[in-house]
Amino acid sequence: MADVLYTNVRIFDGGGETPFTGDVLVQGNTISRVVKTGYGQRSPPGSSALAGALVIDGGGAFLMPGMIEAHTHFSWNDQPSLDAIQRMPPEEHILWCAQVAKLYLDMGWTSAVGAAAAKPRLDVVIRNAINDGTIVGPRYLAASQEITVPGGLGDTTLPHLPQPEFAFGAVVSGAEEMRRCVRMFAKYGVDSLKINLSGESITGMPGEMSQFTEEEIRVCVQEAKAWGKRVAAHARSTWSIQQCVKQGIEVIYHASFTDTETLDMLEANKLAHHVAPGLAWLINTSHHAGQWGLTPEITKKMGYHRELEAAIESMKAMRKRGIRILPGGDYGFAWTPHGTNAKDLEYFVKMVGMSTMEALLSATAWGGPMMKMGKTIGYIREGCLADILLIDGDPLTDITVLQDKSRILSVMKDGVFHRAPPLRQGRPLSPLSQPAPGAPNRWAT
Amino acid sequence: METLFTNVRILDGTGTLPYSGSVLVSGNRIRQVGRSTAPITPGGATVIDGAGATLMPGMVEAHTHISWNDAATLAGIQTMPLEEHVLWCAKVAKKYLESGFTSCLGAACAKPRLDVVIRNAIESGQIPGPRYLAASQEITVLGGLGDETLPHLPFPDFSFGVNVTGAEEMRKAVRMFLKFGCDSVKLNLSGDNFVRGADAHTTWMTDAEVAAAAEEVKMRGKRIIVHARSNASVKQALRHGIELIYHASFTDTESLDMLEAVKDRVFVVPGIGILHAVLHEAEAFGITHQMALDWGYQQEWEAALESLSKMHKRGIRVLPGGDYGFAFNPHFQNARDLEFFVKYLGFTPMEAIRATTVYGGQIMLRGHELGAVKEGWLADLLLVDGDPLANLSILRDQKRILAVMKDGVFAKSPAMASQRAWGHAA
Repeated sequence: MADVLYTNVRIFDGGGETPFTGDVLVQGNTISRVVKTGYGQRSPPGSSALAGALVIDGGGAFLMPGMIEAHTHFSWNDQPSLDAIQRMPPEEHILWCAQVAKLYLDMGWTSAVGAAAAKPRLDVVIRNAINDGTIVGPRYLAASQEITVPGGLGDTTLPHLPQPEFAFGAVVSGAEEMRRCVRMFAKYGVDSLKINLSGESITGMPGEMSQFTEEEIRVCVQEAKAWGKRVAAHARSTWSIQQCVKQGIEVIYHASFTDTETLDMLEANKLAHHVAPGLAWLINTSHHAGQWGLTPEITKKMGYHRELEAAIESMKAMRKRGIRILPGGDYGFAWTPHGTNAKDLEYFVKMVGMSTMEALLSATAWGGPMMKMGKTIGYIREGCLADILLIDGDPLTDITVLQDKSRILSVMKDGVFHRAPPLRQGRPLSPLSQPAPGAPNRWAT
Repeated sequence: METLFTNVRILDGTGTLPYSGSVLVSGNRIRQVGRSTAPITPGGATVIDGAGATLMPGMVEAHTHISWNDAATLAGIQTMPLEEHVLWCAKVAKKYLESGFTSCLGAACAKPRLDVVIRNAIESGQIPGPRYLAASQEITVLGGLGDETLPHLPFPDFSFGVNVTGAEEMRKAVRMFLKFGCDSVKLNLSGDNFVRGADAHTTWMTDAEVAAAAEEVKMRGKRIIVHARSNASVKQALRHGIELIYHASFTDTESLDMLEAVKDRVFVVPGIGILHAVLHEAEAFGITHQMALDWGYQQEWEAALESLSKMHKRGIRVLPGGDYGFAFNPHFQNARDLEFFVKYLGFTPMEAIRATTVYGGQIMLRGHELGAVKEGWLADLLLVDGDPLANLSILRDQKRILAVMKDGVFAKSPAMASQRAWGHAA
């Protein structure tokens, strides 16, 4: 693998500073040199140090760290219901996951945190296949299925069809069933256990309501820790958020309904938790799901409009208290299709009051700890891993450019181009400019 | 979209000697084939100057097991979990296409739906791969080839194939695979020398069982394909009107006469690569040459060469391909079957090419439009660096397969200078 030198780019390095013009050198899978160029700066490295490097003149394009999705469901298949996701046969389902994994990378997400899989092993298998090169996809942390209670979110069995195979989640009741369930997923090799601690209005049990006993939760966390795994919770209700803090559940998804006590608890422990609200689900279920029978009238009755308001207030309050909020969440339903995930950054700016800088940081520098990778990703800094996007436009001016694949000029993961930047000249005639699936130049789109 | 190959040596698959010329592809079909004396006007087509390379039809692999995972045993294939197995198959499908096999005929899969799912994913454009006919698992009998259950673990999930006993169980198994959408239903009519107690001479299915399968499959317009090494199994297949026979190692005058009588309908795909591999290339995987001799592989090898040479002389269509996907006979070296055909079965190189192209189109059930460089035919084409007639081994050298086109679209594009500049970046 040759070295790659990006020249003449505006560098957003993840530190929160105004972008600067400079050069970035990638050697192997690492960013080995970041220099400012232009008047008054020291000279770029001499050409002798760059022998054999591929030089990419960015022409002033915006260079930033690859984005990190904090709440990913590869196995959600862009369908309108949990049942429709769950009924996909496993063979088709794994191919779907592989297809989605590639899409995330196409769209600039070089890391993603699995938030739950629709069948026991889907996430684990995809993570392994990405890591061994069988398929292409982002860095990935694999999740379990959703662990839930009979009748809770994720129990899609019917009274006359009680077989566990019909359930979207893993249904347990009692501490020992929980223990067995966690051990099974740990055996399969997940990175995190997903537990549904609150309801979800679309299932008939509102988000304000909670499920599981404290003892069941305690056993889940205890077993997960024994195996070195992380716990992530679906926690919309106030009680469930408090349980996450009290019992040491690291990842808190949603966190819609908070009160002062809960916010105080979160603030006091803000380095111990990651919060990812998944606003896309609330927004689009409330207002953009009519085509699938969920008109705004219906979703209002379900309680989604009220929850959306509460969630926005909670996120605003958290932001003010310095609790980091991460993008991503619940893409993979019909009205939140995969690949549109960067809308979350727009929602952060428009609804939560973040600056575009904060939104960009939430998708980059803040995501490293979420990926359990500290500061090795999410930055354009010497020594960091080379997960790099080249953007046509300035996300700090218009955050929506990150939603447009054609504006994401190139995607590099771990020092390798997934999509190389287009060539300005010497571009061969078609068909090479439009390679067939499987053609060796898969990046030239 | 149009593509014009100029300055190529056209090896059209039919047996005609190669000639210089140009070929115009329009959409998914070959629109024009011109000799050099009558050049084709490019119009808006992308022009590929072949610089004298050979342009030939895409090859057809007539006995493909994309779910065989290059393990040394059936159990090693069977115990791969389902999710990993599907991703394996997807990877293999892509690689077959890039290796120059634009069509593959599934010969059996290791779990019920693997072949069907991969075929569907290829057809929908979700994954790249060759034209594919999906097979069932192997249907076998207790103790036969493909029954991998153990006495204390009799669960069907442990079995490589589906075990049936009696015509009604056979009917049920066949219906299940037809429900899943298989193009072909595979029966193991004979044993195999690596199975203790069920060697290549054994033949175990009752005529009632085979008849039930044949009836069901025919009713739904699908095809039966059979593993038939023994003489009796070849005859049994022919008695039941089965037209695709794998292996056919052991024959006598009667079975050869029976084959010849239906030579316009029947195909034989011996898969001789694996016999050679077990005898000479399996030591690293625990099968010594002595073990192979003890199991009867040398005897079968000699019998097969004699049977297949006779079939070829009688004009029975014998096709290359088969049983790649074991540790000692790994995927993607399948084109060496062509060399074996020439070296051991009395084929000319031209006949070997015809077998994998024109006959290949026929075995894919598309003999009227697939397997030759002819005007109006499907644009499945290879651009090959060199002359396969002079040296067939170039067909198993990835670097010599310059380009692969399936259905008018490049699966492997010919390299160009500006593309090479990017090559080292990735």
